[in-house]
Amino acid sequence: MENLLAIRLSGDLYAIRVSQITGLTESRKTIALPSTIPELLGVTGIRGGLVPVYSLTALLGYNLDRSPSRWLALCGSEETVGLAFRDFEGYLKIPSTQVYAAIQDNVIREHVKDVARAAGVVRAVVNISSILDTIKKRCGDSRVSKER
Amino acid sequence: MWTFGRRIAAGFALSFLLLLGIGMVAYRSINSLTTTSRLVTHTHDVLEHIGEMVSLLKDAETGQRGYIITGDESYLEPYQAALTGVPGVIRELRELTADNSNQQKRLDAVTSLIAAKLAELKQTIEMRRKGDVEQAAKLVRGGQGKKIMDDLRQVAEQMNREERVLLKQRAEEVEAAASTARSTIIFGTLFCLVFVIASGSLITRSLSGQIGLAVKHVQSSSVELQSTANQQASGARESSTAMNEISTTISELLATSRQIAGSAQRVAHVAEETSTAARAGNQTVEKAHESVSSIKRQVDLIVTHMLDLGKKSQQIGGILEIINELAEQTNILAINATIEAAGAGDAGKRFAVVADEIRKLADRVGGSTKEIRTLIEEIRAAVNTTVMATEGGTKAVDLGARQFAEVTTALTQITGLLEATTEAAREIELSTKQQATAVEQVNVAIADVTKASKETEASLTQTLQTATQLTGLSHDLTRLIQRRA
Repeated sequence: MENLLAIRLSGDLYAIRVSQITGLTESRKTIALPSTIPELLGVTGIRGGLVPVYSLTALLGYNLDRSPSRWLALCGSEETVGLAFRDFEGYLKIPSTQVYAAIQDNVIREHVKDVARAAGVVRAVVNISSILDTIKKRCGDSRVSKER
Repeated sequence: MWTFGRRIAAGFALSFLLLLGIGMVAYRSINSLTTTSRLVTHTHDVLEHIGEMVSLLKDAETGQRGYIITGDESYLEPYQAALTGVPGVIRELRELTADNSNQQKRLDAVTSLIAAKLAELKQTIEMRRKGDVEQAAKLVRGGQGKKIMDDLRQVAEQMNREERVLLKQRAEEVEAAASTARSTIIFGTLFCLVFVIASGSLITRSLSGQIGLAVKHVQSSSVELQSTANQQASGARESSTAMNEISTTISELLATSRQIAGSAQRVAHVAEETSTAARAGNQTVEKAHESVSSIKRQVDLIVTHMLDLGKKSQQIGGILEIINELAEQTNILAINATIEAAGAGDAGKRFAVVADEIRKLADRVGGSTKEIRTLIEEIRAAVNTTVMATEGGTKAVDLGARQFAEVTTALTQITGLLEATTEAAREIELSTKQQATAVEQVNVAIADVTKASKETEASLTQTLQTATQLTGLSHDLTRLIQRRA
């Protein structure tokens, strides 16, 4: 069985694997920080610690929208990262047979490897690991550029 | 311009004046002739008396001489006649010549001579009577008596001569007066004749001209009168026909007026019944108005309750928001619990099942909350719709109440108008009856007018005949005048 969170990003249907996140919370006050990473919205306080908040929409290649997001998906094992999005549609529990590998030609986003069919609707499954890798890479590039 | 009568009167007046002048002149001439003739006769009387006087004295002398010669008393008769006749002759002569002083003086002388002669005759006659013939003859031969007689004849001759002069003069005057009278009569008559002929001719020509002109005018006027009389007769006939038609129409109008009077009576009756019905309707409408007011109060109460229901629904909605929020938070917590259970591995599987059940429960709560919200929204919408409908009903009730008030007012006005209509219908009935009476009178008048038109037609026919006769007369008069002219 696959446990998925059904979300909507800029009007497109997406899903996040529950196994790839560490929590789901409502977005709280986010403090913007000066940064060379445009997807970084700022930092917020989660469970007594500061968590960087990135725009999932911007990370998936959509235009950056700095309007407040309601939901925040927490992920990352060593350093918790918050991925902000606006619309949370529900919790999906579907058979694994309903999750298919996305044909590369049909995948228009960088961080989508699978698609899931639920209730007659096909959703792109966001690869949170790939997102985290991208964030790490950006952060690394940013540190390098600062040291230089 | 002078009138005919004035001209004729003037002609006659001038003729009369001329005749009067001629008559006066003739009268004066004849009067003068008569006077002169009387004077001639008077002169002849004087001459006759003078002759008679001388004759008487001659007769007395002759008687005296015969008596003296014969002594016969019968010879004294002429003497006696002279004694009685001479004084009368002298007196008459004196009266006849009273206007002539010369003759009066001669008469005085004659009277003295006659007295002397008569005294001489008496003396001789007395002497003879006493027989003294010789003495008497001596006195006669003495010539005294002859001398007295000669003187007397001389004076008588003087008187005769003067009288003859006067006679001649008066004869000439008579001749002159007769000549004047003759001339006056002849020439005056001729002048009058000429004047009368001239003035008659002038007047005749003038009158013929003017009368001819007037006759022509009369002729043309009579022709026009004839034509006009024809037209008027035709018009009178048409008028008579039209009057007949009018009379028929007025009869129909009379019948219509009577029908209108009957209809007006029925209208008045219906209006009274309608007024009664309107008053009953007014009471019904007032009751309905009270019912509508009661409905309005009930509707206001319903609106108040509906608004309370809406407020309660809003409160329920608020509570549902809290429940929904709690359900979402529970869902999130369940999701997070599931995530944590997944992270716990096998140890968390049972927890994951519980968390999944909690999440499902939260989902169902969320779904139920959504359904309740939907229901509440529907209730609120229904309440709003009901409130709006009720407000619409309230407005409709208000409108109905106002309309009922207007209907009441209208019914009151209708009642008043119906009363006015009843009154008007009665007035119409009365007026129509009066109109019918008037129409009857008009019908009678029209009949009179028709009769008058027929009489006018008859009189116009007579006028036409008269105009025709007048035309004939004017033609005759024209012929007469032209024949004279």
